[in-house]
Parts: sequence; C-alpha cells; structure tokens
Amino acid sequence: MNSLLEQFLSEARDFLQGIGEKLMQLESDPTSTPLMAELFRFVHTLKGNSGLFDFPEMTCVLHASEDLMDAVRNGRVNYSQTLADQLLEAMDFVGSLMDEIEITGKTGSNHFATSTELTKALRALLNAHNAVYVPVAIETYTEDGLAVKAISWSELPELDLPETVAMGLYRCSIDGETVFWLEYTPEPECFFKGEDPFFLARQIPDTAWRHVILNNTSSTLAEMDVFSSQLVFQLLTIAPAVELDDLFRYVPDQIHRVKIPALAFVKPNGRKDSQAIDDDFINNVLALLDKDEIETLIRTINTMLELSSPELWSSSVLRWALQLVDVEPENKSAQRTLLNTLRAQTPPDWSSSIMEMNEPRDMVTVMPSVSVNLSELSDTLLRDFNVVINTQREILSLGGTWSAGRLKSIAATLLGCYRAVQKLHEVESIESALQLALTKNSPEPLLDWLNNSSASTQELVFTAEEAPIIVSNLATQNEVKFGRRTEDAVITGAVAASKMLKVDQDKIDRLMNLIGEMVVAKNALPYLANRAETVFGVRDLAREIKAQYAVINRVAEEMQDTIMQVRMMPVSFIFQRFPRMVRDISRKLGKEVELVLEGEATEADKNIIEALSDPLIHIVRNSLDHGLEMPDVRLAVGKSVTGKLLIRASQESDRVLIEIIDDGKGIDPEIIKHKAYEKGLIDETTLERISDQDAVNLVFAAGFSTADVISDLSGRGVGMDVVRSAVEKVNGTVGIESEVGKGTRLYLSLPLSMAVTNVMIIQSNQQIFGVPMDIVVETVRVPHSHIQRIKQKQTTVLRGRIVPLLSLNDLLASNVEQLPNEDNEFATLILRVHGEHVGILVDEFRETVDIILKPMTGILGGLAGYSGAALLGDGSVLMVLNPRELI
Amino acid sequence: MAIEYKKSLAVFDDFVGVEDAEALLEWFQKNPKGKVNFTTCTHIHASNLQVLMAVKPPVVAWSKDEDLQLWLEPLLR
Amino acid sequence: MKQILVIDDAATVRLYHRNILESAGYSVDEAINGIEALEKALVKPYDLYVVDVNMPKLDGYGFLNEFRRQEDAVQSPAIMVSTEMGENDKVLGYAAGANLYLTKPLKPTELLSYTRLLLGEVA
Repeated sequence: MNSLLEQFLSEARDFLQGIGEKLMQLESDPTSTPLMAELFRFVHTLKGNSGLFDFPEMTCVLHASEDLMDAVRNGRVNYSQTLADQLLEAMDFVGSLMDEIEITGKTGSNHFATSTELTKALRALLNAHNAVYVPVAIETYTEDGLAVKAISWSELPELDLPETVAMGLYRCSIDGETVFWLEYTPEPECFFKGEDPFFLARQIPDTAWRHVILNNTSSTLAEMDVFSSQLVFQLLTIAPAVELDDLFRYVPDQIHRVKIPALAFVKPNGRKDSQAIDDDFINNVLALLDKDEIETLIRTINTMLELSSPELWSSSVLRWALQLVDVEPENKSAQRTLLNTLRAQTPPDWSSSIMEMNEPRDMVTVMPSVSVNLSELSDTLLRDFNVVINTQREILSLGGTWSAGRLKSIAATLLGCYRAVQKLHEVESIESALQLALTKNSPEPLLDWLNNSSASTQELVFTAEEAPIIVSNLATQNEVKFGRRTEDAVITGAVAASKMLKVDQDKIDRLMNLIGEMVVAKNALPYLANRAETVFGVRDLAREIKAQYAVINRVAEEMQDTIMQVRMMPVSFIFQRFPRMVRDISRKLGKEVELVLEGEATEADKNIIEALSDPLIHIVRNSLDHGLEMPDVRLAVGKSVTGKLLIRASQESDRVLIEIIDDGKGIDPEIIKHKAYEKGLIDETTLERISDQDAVNLVFAAGFSTADVISDLSGRGVGMDVVRSAVEKVNGTVGIESEVGKGTRLYLSLPLSMAVTNVMIIQSNQQIFGVPMDIVVETVRVPHSHIQRIKQKQTTVLRGRIVPLLSLNDLLASNVEQLPNEDNEFATLILRVHGEHVGILVDEFRETVDIILKPMTGILGGLAGYSGAALLGDGSVLMVLNPRELI
Repeated sequence: MAIEYKKSLAVFDDFVGVEDAEALLEWFQKNPKGKVNFTTCTHIHASNLQVLMAVKPPVVAWSKDEDLQLWLEPLLR
Repeated sequence: MKQILVIDDAATVRLYHRNILESAGYSVDEAINGIEALEKALVKPYDLYVVDVNMPKLDGYGFLNEFRRQEDAVQSPAIMVSTEMGENDKVLGYAAGANLYLTKPLKPTELLSYTRLLLGEVA
C-alpha cells in the first residue's frame, strides 16, 4: 500500500471518529452553529481526500453527505434524529469501505447498490426541503486539448425531453447550476478490460435524463457479438464537471461533455395546428410585454391556455412563456422570440441570444503556427500560460480596495509566466508597471500593461526557433507525467510529516522487540566480565567491561523508557466508541441513558488499552442491559427517568483504574447466591455462610450468567468470567461493588505498562522458571517437619494461617520429589492467587530479573500454564509460569 | 445464478454480470417470445443491456430499484 | 531550490501535494491552517503558496488577506485550491490575494505545470 493511501486511511478514520462525535454532541445541542460548521468541515475534508483516489462509491456517499451538511449548516435543512441516523449509517458504510481498502487496497465492485441507496436517502433528506445545491462548475479543459473538436450545444442531437424535465433543467440553469450533456461511447473492447460502461453511467450523479443507443451492426441475433460494446450512453446531469471528469478519468477520450445553456431547454413540443392561435392574440401579448404589463400578460396567457387543448404545440409555447416570465423576467428578448414562434409555428432559434451570453472565455486558443511535432506539453504550457494571464487580468478588473501585497503578487505571477515562456524582455516593463501601480495604489497600470503588452494572449505564439527549446527543457519531466501508473509513482514518494508523526503500530512493536533484544544482549556483558575474570584471569578487562556495561545499561534503560512513552495511548481510544454504542443499545432497549466519560486523557500502554477494549464493551453492555432499568420502572421507584452511566479512568501510582458506575437496580446477592447454587457453583454450606460481597463476586465465576434470556446484547451467554480472565491476562484485577436499588460500581485496575516484567527465577527439577513478582507475597523455607497433610493435601501454618502447599513438580506433572536443602527445608514461594495465599514448593530460589515477556504463539500458545517466555542474558530461554492457570 | 430461466421467462436477480450475456443471447435465440422479469434485479452488466436492447423482449415486471427502472423503461418499453 | 508552502488542514492532501512537488525537485513545507501558515511565511519567504480554502482557525481567504497586507513580506504568487467551484468562491479568493484558483483534486501534471509557470522556470 502506498504511503499516500496509508495517510488517507489513517486520517479518514480520525474524521469518521470526529463526525460520529460531533453528531453525538449535536444530539444534545441541535442548534449549535460551531458544531455544525465543524461537522461540515470534517465531511468536506474527508470527501476532498477521498477524491484523490478511485473510490467512487465512497466519494459519492460523502458528496451527498457533504451537500446535506452544507444545507444543515446554512439552515436550509433542519438537524433531526433521522438525519443523524442517516449520516451515521453513511459513515459506517464509508468505514466498512476503508476496512476493505486497508486489506485489499481497493474497494470491491459489490458496493454499488448500498452506495446508491445511501446517496439516495441522503439526497432525499435534502430534497425533502427542496434545496438541491450543486455549485456552478468551472469549465475545465478536455484532457487532450487541441485534438478534440469542441462540440457546441447546437450540434447536439435533438433531445426528446418531456416538457416538465426540460422546464426543471431550465430553472436549474437559471438558478446558477450547470447542466451538462454527456455522451459516453465505450470502446468496443471494454468488456475485456473488466469494464462495465452501464455501471459507470449509472454512477453519474444528479442525472435528469438518460438514454442509451444501440449501434447494432448485425442484422440477426445470431450474428450479434455480445462481448463487443455497441452502446452509446447519453445523459443530462447537473453534477459538477470535476465530479464527472473524475468519474471518467480512465476513459476521458470516450466522453463528450458539453455545457448546455438555459435557453437551449426552451423547446416547445406538441401537435401543430395553425388555427389554434390568431394574430390578434399574438400582437396583444407582445404589446403587453413591451408595455411591461406583466400581470395582464400572465392573465391573458392563462386564459388562452384554459381555452386550448394542452397537447397543442402553441399551448406548450404559452406554458414556456409563463416560465420565462417567471424565471427570467428581465430577459424580454427571449420572451419575445418565444412568443413570435406562435406565428410560423417553428421552433425558437436561440443561437444568437445564447452566443451573446456564452462568451468563449475558456476556449483553447488554437495555435496554427505551432509545429506539429511539438509535444503535448508545449500545448499544455501555452494553455496554462493563457489561463494564468487571463486570470490576472480578471483579478485586476475586480473592484474593491487594493493592498500593495496583491499588486506585487500579480506582478510576481506575470514575471514568472513570462520568464517561463522566455519572454525575458517583458520583465523590465512589468516592473515599471508595478511601480506605477504601487504609487497610484491602483491596478490600472498593470491592467494597461497586460492589454497593451506585445505578448498578450492572442499574440503569444511560439516561433519556430523558440518552441523546441521549451519542449526540450521540459521534456525531462514529461515522461512521468501522463497516465495513471506514472501518476501513482509520483505520489508514492517518501512520507515526511510536520509536527505529529503517525506511525504504523507494527513499527513500534518492532522497536519494542529490538529493545528487548538489546536488553538481553546488554545483560550478557556481566556474564562476559565474569568469564574474563574467572576463566581468563584478566581482572582489569573485567572491570572495563563492567564500566562499559553501566553506560550501555543506562542508555538502554532510557531507550526502553522512551519507547514505553511512545507506546502510551490515551484511554479515549476505547472510550470514544462508547457514545455511539450506548446510544444505539439504549435506543434498541428503549432505555434512556446519559453517558458521562471522565479521565479520557489517562494513558496506558497500547497493549493494555487494546486488551481493555473487549472487557469494557462487555461491561458497558451488561450495565445497559441488566443494570439500568426501563424508564417506567425507574419512575416507579422514584429515580429520574434517565439512567446515568459513568465511565471514569484515572491513574493510581503505576496502575490505571477504570470504573464503570451505573445508578441502576444493582445486584441482589440473594439472587446471585441461589443462581450459583442452582448451577452447582457453590454448595449448600457456602450458600448459607457466604457474605453479600462474596456473593456479588460470584458473577465472575466461570459459567455464571444471570440473564434469564440470552439477549443479543450482553454477549451470548458469556459472562463476567470472560471479562475477568481477559483482564487478568494483562496482570489486571477486576472488582465489583453493588447496592441493591442504588447501582453498581465495577472497577478494573491495570498496570500502566506491561512491556517489562519483573520475575523471580526459581529452579525445580533441574530447570529454571520465572514467576511474576507481582503475585509473589514472600519466599520462605519450610522445614519438612512443618508440613502437615490434611485430606491428602499438604499444608503448613504460616503466621497463624493455614496455607495449602503445592509442589511445582506435581503441578508440571513431572513425577519427581522436590529437593530440600541441607537443613531439610523446602524453598517455598507464597503466592497470592485469586485473593488467597498458596505456597509453591520449588527446589531453589535464584535472582529476580527484568525481562521482556513475549507471549507464546502457535501450538505453545495453548499452554495455559505459561504466560510467556523471555531470553536471558546468557542466551538461554526462560519460561515464565502463569500460576493463576497452573493451580 | 443471476438469471433464472423458466420456460419462456427470464428472471433477473440481484447483479447480473458479463458472464451471463452469452447465455442470455442464446436463450432469446431459442425463445424468441421470451419475456423478462426484473423485480429483484439491481444491476445488469452493459453486455446484457445490449442483448436486451437488441431483442426488446416484453417486460413482465420492472425492477424495484428505481434508478435501474428509470434507465430500462424507456429502452425496453 | 525553490521553496513552496503547502497549506491544508487535511494531512492526506498535504502529502499528496508534497509528493508531487518534491518529485519535481521543490522543497516543501507544510502548514495545517492559516495561522500556522502566517507564522511560517513571515519568518521565511516562500516562492509559492498552495492554499486550501476551508480550514479551521484561519481559512485560506483569511490567510491571504492578512499575508497580502504585510508590507515587508515577499509577495510570491499563491494558488488557491478548493473543492468549492462556485464563481463566488473564486472571486473571494482573487479578492483575498490568490493568483490562481484551481479545483480539487488537482492532477499532478496540472499542479506542476502551473507551479513551473508561476515560478518562472524554463528548466
């Protein structure tokens, strides 16, 4: 995937997130103008970005969303729940497309239907308020410049438009929209290139009229070649030119796009009957028009329309006349031309009136003197030169106040252009025109210079000697400039961002692994020093190695620290999805919930944050599903209708504390007790003796789920035990407090970072193992005589408490007795497992070390008894035990 | 299969791709009076479109997809 | 080497423009809004500005308006690049001090061709 696409995806996800958030905020503050402006900007920028790539479905949906948000922001459409839902759905679709792009690098062809549907739904919201807004398009050049003969609108085939459609288009173009006639002739071989011209044609937005022509050359069906395209698509659309050009960017030579002037639509049709209208009537209405008695004119025409059959050609003329009077009241000449057609009953000839208003500002100036072997680039240069010069002329003709800076910038622009075409002798005169303009503080001198300049647009023609120089100079860069493949090559350059740097997760992980190896390599130095001293007897060298080790150690530790910092992520990464989730679920359940998020800026290691994601979602769902009551129930017990759900993150020394607090019905220990008993999780004696808190804690027991009906919300029958094990996997703990009728508080406590683990190395059965220090309570040596057997189980009494003893060899299923020391004492690790103390008998204690724990993968990943492995300084592998699972 | 052929009726379903065009043409050659049903059709590849335009078969039902119907109706009616 | 300042709030667009311009041997700096652009442009003169319209804090019009008012600044040409295609947006851009108004997405050839012209480069 190229870096630009990666950048796009990463930024687009931020935008989607932002759009979701803003919509949520708008929900509680639906009239906030800044929020709407911000929301519009997000959608707008996202659409702009997507336009750089070929994801038509995405761009299409985003375009519709943008138009809708533009209408909302300008108050033309009101913000509503439906609108928010529709936009959210559209954004979900965009998100799913991005997922697909992330994996495959492109979007599949199967999204057309969804995209169209969403676009339609969005546009429907817009149109419901009768506010279609399509900006006026700037005429752009055809890709191949001079090669294509420009077709003018008058050369178009007769379009058989229904009168209502024609009137609609006429109104649209008077209102400032550009109507294009588009003819798309796919090449015959296009099916073999995997193209579907019909699909492409259907992608054209804002189509007002469509037609397909079959140029079937074969006389019988048998002769027909289905695999050779014989179709021509014709459409009228008010889509912006850039959008059309973008859609057809791979087949620019197969389309003709022509801007249609408004009057071209004014084409009466119907049955001609010379008896229908007499000259008196015509003279009468023309006189009324001249006298500007518009009301009488309209009344007269309406009366005539009532008397005539609507299918008559003359009736159509009259209907059009009413339109013209209404839409273009000042265009008397057009109205007159139209009414005059009633006499001869010939179609109106608009060519003269249209030519006047359609001045060929953007026409490519054809340069006959340019030699034929000039490359396209010199044409491009010439064309662009003219565009820039004409633009400066346009700017200079603008009214308003003039700052010196603007005048200078125009002069700078002119200088650049003339230098670029090697008209160096103009430089001096531009500069003196600028000086004059600055003294007068007026654009006139520059404008005069432009109009009088010998090198003005019309006269700028390359002479035979000059032109080839330009070509050869620019030709070096020319090769890479055409065609999509080379375009991609150009834009796939190196990434270099400004202040913030977005880095691929994999790279950070790799950095993490490298520092892990570095720590291991570094730890080998003390071994080396030891060997230097004991094996080779060079004490000085050993000392030097140790000194060097101290330096490397410091640097490595700092490096490790820094990398840890980089890996830190704010919990907002997970929190941000809650507003949407809570909204969706509560709506589904018919509950009203106010979500409060606190401490979103609290940071923790990326892995911790990621591990937290699923359990948290599960807990939140549980709270919504089982914790908070239905509005009527809440009212009945005297609570506010809206339930409150608080998710709070905070840092407590080296741990992150996450609390999920709801003011729902709480957990009833009695119910839990009996459920647990029914499911055989506790026995009868426990049922009687268990404290309320312990009972509540039973929700974490494996196989416990209180939901009477398994809903599709709180995970299919999977209970809180999954949450607990997920949290424990990253050395976290989970707890719950609840008061019946008041609410529930669930809390997760997690380490800030899991990258470095402090383990104690122990020896057993001639092997070494690591045990995480955070669960080691103490190490003791238990004399053989102090070990008692109670019911087959070994125990000892430690500070007045009975502690069960387990032999590590037994736990690892190796049938070997633990070795005591000379005094017949057993080395015993006292561990805290699930809140209870357990003693593990081993052969010997060794040192504690910091290691980078790597979880085991593949087949070894299934070994629950181990939490992972790490490399030691001497290169050996240390297996780290997971006593929670082992016991 | 995106086109289901029933005696003298071709039922178009969902997205009918380029691979169906040849069979469609053959079917019309064998069933010159064949009719078509677009009810559940959302898109047909251009190759199928040109076969349909060449044959102009009677249409039993138009597509529920409004946009597709807007395209097809003037061409096949 | 000619220095160009690309001003756009969308990182993707900045990267796109940067890649195109750097491929042709220009040196490119970036600014994410009008304020940052002003800060940069007033410290170091650029040979060309490629300015987006819609940006938070200070938009493209605002930037150009302010920048063109700076007496001491080197007033290099500015290309305004926008998705807005309305005639009005264009005129606003020109009135603010843009020398060219182009619509997104720009083709690489288009951007390079105009850049060369405005920078007066033949070679």
